[in-house]
Amino acid sequence: MSNQLPESIISLQDLKAVIVEVRGYARWYSQYSVKARVSKTAPASQPPAVSAAAAELISQWAKDQPTAKTMDKLLEELQDIVTKSPRVTITLAAPAPLSLQKTLVEWCRKNITPSILVSFRFNSTLLGGMVVQHGSHVYDWSFRRQILANGPKFSEALRHV
Amino acid sequence: MLLALQIFILVNVLLIGLLAPYIYHHAKAHFKPDEHAHPEPTDAVLPEEVKARLLKESETKFEASVAQSITQLQHNLDTTTSDINNLVKKMAVEVVSKELEQYREGLAKLHAEAQKDLGGFKDTMQGHEAEFKAQLAEDMKLEKEKMIKQIDTKLGDAVSSFLLETLGRNVDLGTQGTYLMSVLEEHKAEFKKEVDDEQPTT
Repeated sequence: MSNQLPESIISLQDLKAVIVEVRGYARWYSQYSVKARVSKTAPASQPPAVSAAAAELISQWAKDQPTAKTMDKLLEELQDIVTKSPRVTITLAAPAPLSLQKTLVEWCRKNITPSILVSFRFNSTLLGGMVVQHGSHVYDWSFRRQILANGPKFSEALRHV
Repeated sequence: MLLALQIFILVNVLLIGLLAPYIYHHAKAHFKPDEHAHPEPTDAVLPEEVKARLLKESETKFEASVAQSITQLQHNLDTTTSDINNLVKKMAVEVVSKELEQYREGLAKLHAEAQKDLGGFKDTMQGHEAEFKAQLAEDMKLEKEKMIKQIDTKLGDAVSSFLLETLGRNVDLGTQGTYLMSVLEEHKAEFKKEVDDEQPTT
């Protein structure tokens, strides 16, 4: 994709929701442009309400001059992202606030790959840190694993007290 | 015993040899008196009383002589019997002593063999004892290490459980943002490689 995904599109679910919105907008725009050509005056129909993420995408893609072709191309690109983009799941010890989600996604798109999609989950038994899953690979960087892995060190520490 | 019997027979033969001429001499003198020593009396010279007296005297002398011979023979037989008894006793003592000596030697030999076997058994037992002690010490050491490890593991588990139980209720992601970013930065290369390797090529 030539343009980067907006930071508000974080997960696959977000992207699919945006695709639905863009498809609705494209349908409306197609009807609107036909009516405009026939009536030679601007029709009174209002565009469907779209989210900020969808609006940003449409704006970036069409450069404020959307056409039926550009909208179809945008939908193709978005479907291609759904198919090919890498997806990771980040599990935290608590539900992640949106600011933290955006920070982490921004880091991933900047350092890993621009089209990466991230799903967030939470598991309070992790205590802290995070567990990152990509495909069949799991990176367990949680506090829980560190505590359990370093169990023998506790007895050593107690012996030195 | 065979040797003693042989000696006894030889002694008897010797005694019979010694006594035989003596008996023969007396018997000859009795049954065949010497004609030259006793000139035949003439019936004309000796009266009947004298003849009877002489005959009686002769009988008396003969009987005395025989009695003396018997007494001497009896004495010789007693002496011989005594000697033979002594000899038999002496031989018996020698034989018994020899048998006893052989018995003692056999006993000593058996004792030495028993001591030797006992010594080997003792050495074997000492070897086994040392081996057993070493094995026991090794087992004790392993058991001790195992118990220490178990205690450490249980202690670590207890502390871990305590921490998990205590910290699990106080999660604050707001303070973990910096830490999370640092973790990602730390594993950036590894993470990127994993994603790049699994990304489909276009």
